[in-house]
Amino acid sequence: MELSAVTLDSEQQAFAARVRGFLTEHVTPEVLEHERVTGDGFNEQVHLALGERGWIMPTWPAERGGAGLDPVRARILELEMRRARTPDVTLGTTRAVAAAVRRYADPSVREDLLRGAAVGTVRFCLGYTEPDGGSDIAAAKVRAVRDGDEWVINGSKIFTTGAHNSQHTFLITRTDPELPKHKGLTMFLVPLNAPGVEIQAIRTFGGERTNVVYYGGVRVSDACRLGGVNEGWSVLRGPLNAEHGIHDDDGGHALTMGLGWLSAVELARALDVAAEWAVTPGPDGARPADDPYVRYRLGQVAIDLEAAVVTPGLMGRVKGSEALISGAAALTDLLGPAGVLSEGTPPAPGGGQVDFAHRFAQGTATYGGTVEVYRTMIAQHVLGLPRPAYPGAKVLVQRKR
Amino acid sequence: MTPDIFELRHTDFSLAEDELAVREAFREFFTEQCPANRVRASEPLGFDARLWRQAAELGAATMGLPESLGGDDAGLLLLVIVAEEAGAVLAPVPFAEHTAASRAVAQFAAGAAGAGPARARDALLSVAERPLTLMPQPVTALMSALAPAGAVARDVLALDGDELVLLHAQEPPPLMQNQGSTPLAQWAVREGVSRTVIASGGDAVTGYATACAEWRLLTAAALVGLTRAALGLAVDFSKSRETMGVPIGSLQGVAFPLVDVEIGVSGARNLVRKAAWLADNEPGEHPGLSEAAFAYAAQVATHGATTAAHMQGGLGFTVEADASLYFLRAKGWSVLGGDPARAVRAVGDALIARVLNK
Repeated sequence: MELSAVTLDSEQQAFAARVRGFLTEHVTPEVLEHERVTGDGFNEQVHLALGERGWIMPTWPAERGGAGLDPVRARILELEMRRARTPDVTLGTTRAVAAAVRRYADPSVREDLLRGAAVGTVRFCLGYTEPDGGSDIAAAKVRAVRDGDEWVINGSKIFTTGAHNSQHTFLITRTDPELPKHKGLTMFLVPLNAPGVEIQAIRTFGGERTNVVYYGGVRVSDACRLGGVNEGWSVLRGPLNAEHGIHDDDGGHALTMGLGWLSAVELARALDVAAEWAVTPGPDGARPADDPYVRYRLGQVAIDLEAAVVTPGLMGRVKGSEALISGAAALTDLLGPAGVLSEGTPPAPGGGQVDFAHRFAQGTATYGGTVEVYRTMIAQHVLGLPRPAYPGAKVLVQRKR
Repeated sequence: MTPDIFELRHTDFSLAEDELAVREAFREFFTEQCPANRVRASEPLGFDARLWRQAAELGAATMGLPESLGGDDAGLLLLVIVAEEAGAVLAPVPFAEHTAASRAVAQFAAGAAGAGPARARDALLSVAERPLTLMPQPVTALMSALAPAGAVARDVLALDGDELVLLHAQEPPPLMQNQGSTPLAQWAVREGVSRTVIASGGDAVTGYATACAEWRLLTAAALVGLTRAALGLAVDFSKSRETMGVPIGSLQGVAFPLVDVEIGVSGARNLVRKAAWLADNEPGEHPGLSEAAFAYAAQVATHGATTAAHMQGGLGFTVEADASLYFLRAKGWSVLGGDPARAVRAVGDALIARVLNK
């Protein structure tokens, strides 16, 4: 085991200082306010400034538009960006798709796409979920039909977060409805400015903006196809595994941050705010923390936070989300009416962090695959329980109309 | 408590070669030597003297002691690894109590002449025959209190005011039969019981607090092992038991509750090991962490043992099912130091202290 604090040498310290300086300069209060109002998960100026320094793809070598950062520097960058609340949802989806682009994109377009992604002018989003679907991505029904050197795409996708920030969507389509479910799928990188693409905003009570994207006879060139026809599932697996926190190299996982960790960060912020509230004397001079009951409530949230941070792998993703959900609810209760004061309402403790955490928490149990999807994976891959026999597990079940 | 979540730390929970070797040695030993029938045979006392001697031959009774006292100077990380393996088979030996108590006593056994160090050295003389124990809650003027492992130990470490004392009796008091079949007994200063001060003032209070923190961590590790094994029984059952033509483990109504136990076990194990590692390497710098690990492990064990028994339906509720052994000890071990919710509040206390001292 090794849990020691990483001691930074003087060059690493200078790097951390540069990162912090950059973030102070670019992730301004205006940027944060814009993010609060829009829920965009993206700010173009910040994104392009990151790209200028090679920090969109920080571990890529400089000649490919990255910064050639070693794991320690890459981790410093991640932590500082998170600490500064850098809007980074579209950054995350761009990174997830880039690996598939490198491996599968047509050579005629590949280098431009990757270079654009690294400098920030090209962004990718994930076109997975469908309005009548859900977490069962392989049940995709959006159709792509070949027409000479082109493909014609029809259907709709929901929860395409960042579509309005992106140039391309990483789209999973059905190219052969007759084949077994996972075999009739093909991936495309669809330009979002193509005729027939329509993006509509959806807002969540967690403050995020996501989208529904309609594809009405969208024609794309065959060069937009990623990987073989009907081989889309294996193309998608890479980014999907990355989203699930599953990595090929064992060494990397210690330095990666999954959804569980992101949830823990929000819980830690809410807990800090509640702890500050608890030590602040009221009008009568008494502090909430003088009451052992308050310390007990804070203690339970702190325990779940500690547990969430150390719960490994697939289990950590569920624990992180559920610790945030239960913890944020408990802290809201603890603060009473002050706990539901909105962000930006002056007496809201910590600028409304607890109110935000309680709303934001709910989405973490769904996006990136619901906690039920993860429980299924844990049941089968960790506990070795038998797979359930569902009629639609291997074949596409079309509801009769 | 709740360290800076953005702090740059290694997060490598994989066990090193020596840590793995210790785990494998004790896993093999406990699995071979302590099947369920041996656990049953030890009831109601919950102590198997031969198993304790065998474990002592492997080093269990002394590994955490300094080399000068015949030990191996093992740190808490290795000790919690052993405790988890003992817990997984419900080994009827007081490893947690003995280890925490003997390490504290060892601190005051060295050097100076006098009654205290002499008694401390005596207590450590024949640990393979007679384990030590402690009162994991402070006692008031040594009025009668329930001591875990008190029915098999001749020496009990306790804090009496600001004095750290060893109570000693030639014969331990009688067993107080209990849900977890652990050797609980009532100790008091009475005829036949000697009371020797081995430390006083700040040293006593600190030494006792450390002993209690170590006991909580070791007990937490044992609870992790207990829950892990209880879960294993339920998983095996749910793979073979069928309903309506399918194994019940393929049903989400069975699988998901078992998954929730795994989520708890895997996190509690890492939390215990983290607290142990930090106590070994950064002592005193993480107040509240041993309480957090203990409280979480106790919650996980209570929930896990109930779930594991319940997923075996009526069979899990029968005394013939091994699940029952686990269920009864989950509470039987969790409450030996008092209400585990007090550890929750202690975590809150540490959090508030950190905020106030910022």
